[in-house]
Amino acid sequence: MRSAGLIAAAVRFQLVTLRRSPGDLLVLVTTPLLTVTFLAILRGAGRHDVQAYGVLAPGVMALWSIGVLVCGQIIDTERAGGTLELLLASPAATALVVFGRIATVTVCSLLAIAEAWLVALVGFGVLVPVPHPWLFAATLLCGAAATAGWATAMAGTFVLARSTRLFQNAISYPVFVLGGALVPVALLPVGLRWLSRLVYLSWVSQLLRDAVRPAAVAHPLPRLAMVIGLGAVGLGVGLVLVRRVSARVRATGEAGLA
Amino acid sequence: MTRLRSAATAFRYAVAAGVADYATIYTWRTWCLAWLSRVVCQVAFFALVGRLLHSPAEVRFLLVGNAVAMAALESFFVCASTVWERHTGTLPLLVASPTSIMVAFGGRSVFWMGSGISTASISLFLLAPLFGVHLPATAPFAIPLIAAIAFASYCCALVLAGLVLRAMELRNVAGNVGFLVLTIICGVQVRADYWPRWLQAVADLLPVRHGLAAIRLLLDGGPARAIAREGVLELVVGLGWLAVAVSTFARLAEHGRRTGAIEFGS
Repeated sequence: MRSAGLIAAAVRFQLVTLRRSPGDLLVLVTTPLLTVTFLAILRGAGRHDVQAYGVLAPGVMALWSIGVLVCGQIIDTERAGGTLELLLASPAATALVVFGRIATVTVCSLLAIAEAWLVALVGFGVLVPVPHPWLFAATLLCGAAATAGWATAMAGTFVLARSTRLFQNAISYPVFVLGGALVPVALLPVGLRWLSRLVYLSWVSQLLRDAVRPAAVAHPLPRLAMVIGLGAVGLGVGLVLVRRVSARVRATGEAGLA
Repeated sequence: MTRLRSAATAFRYAVAAGVADYATIYTWRTWCLAWLSRVVCQVAFFALVGRLLHSPAEVRFLLVGNAVAMAALESFFVCASTVWERHTGTLPLLVASPTSIMVAFGGRSVFWMGSGISTASISLFLLAPLFGVHLPATAPFAIPLIAAIAFASYCCALVLAGLVLRAMELRNVAGNVGFLVLTIICGVQVRADYWPRWLQAVADLLPVRHGLAAIRLLLDGGPARAIAREGVLELVVGLGWLAVAVSTFARLAEHGRRTGAIEFGS
């Protein structure tokens, strides 16, 4: 119950912060351009049968990008403001505070899905139907939760890192490739295909693609469980990391400098 | 002559300061492991779309286009690094100094061009064989053309940087949007003639368009004269944007002197 209250407070704080730093939602500005890019490539090649991929991909990419961007910003801002030590030293669980803040922005990132749909409709006259709306919605919610879990794990790493920008820049496209954001992982080399199974985004991407196809979807619940399970692993890693880092910096007092 | 010499000295110092800045972000190891690998993955991401389309021609088109565009991507980071300079509080000093602020701002982010030329070239020559894209023996001549693209993109991005100095929170938005627009209409992701004529005319005035056309001609064994013409056009476009950038920074300095508000970004 105390944890729920803590997360709720973090959500409220992040909503107030968002009003003052709209840059956190930068991805919502680039999403329409990415949608135009993907649809132009796919339609330009005459592949109207896969144009739904081009509408889904910007949303999937936004989900991950916002998670990574915000968890980096949170640590950077706290460090620059000199409050990182206070956050780590407070009795409240730092990881849950970070999780609550990231979850707030991640849910906002779901707007990117609506944006991509709108750009496809207005710009290209393409309306992608969703024959499995419940699966689609459940996948987005599970995907958002898993993103918040993994972003929490990264926040733990960022506390230790000298430059969060370096990590933020490094992990975007490798995850988009392994997560099958636009191109299904079946088209990756065999070795990478196995690795992609460990990336929750690959399950999210494929479930979303299946949800916009009329055919019955195979094993939806186990696949959703994989998304949640992999997200929980991320959150667990995040909790352990932040707890260890907290213990270390309480002893050495070097969180601000890392 | 003395003014020119002092401007050249200021430019050299600005370049050295920028390189020192970059060295605080990356070591050789982190540049290779974190940045270069990310860029290679970005190019591979788009080359894979060609595989999705089951078209070797599309794999080639997307791989070459996106590899070369990485030179522009890094040049557009000048929007962010110009704002870093303002964050350090040096802008009033630069405005008060006898040398144009354009010299300082133009020099302090030159390192992005060097990094961009390197990542674009490495991506092209590393990924082409992995994706089965044949490159002719003349392919290394693409490197000076990539340098021309990096220069033209840098000059264009400097204009944006001069504008975002007045609205610093937009630095990342401006850089990202600027780069994405280039990739959409300048022949990186789709052939330029996919778009309406008026948009093609706009693209002709933007960086990447001519330089990339020159590289595609080079890799397809096109006539040397046509390649040289497109390469020169890319440089001319860059010089045009440089002239606009000089005027943008001059207006910024003049406005700051007049209102005394330069410290506060308004």
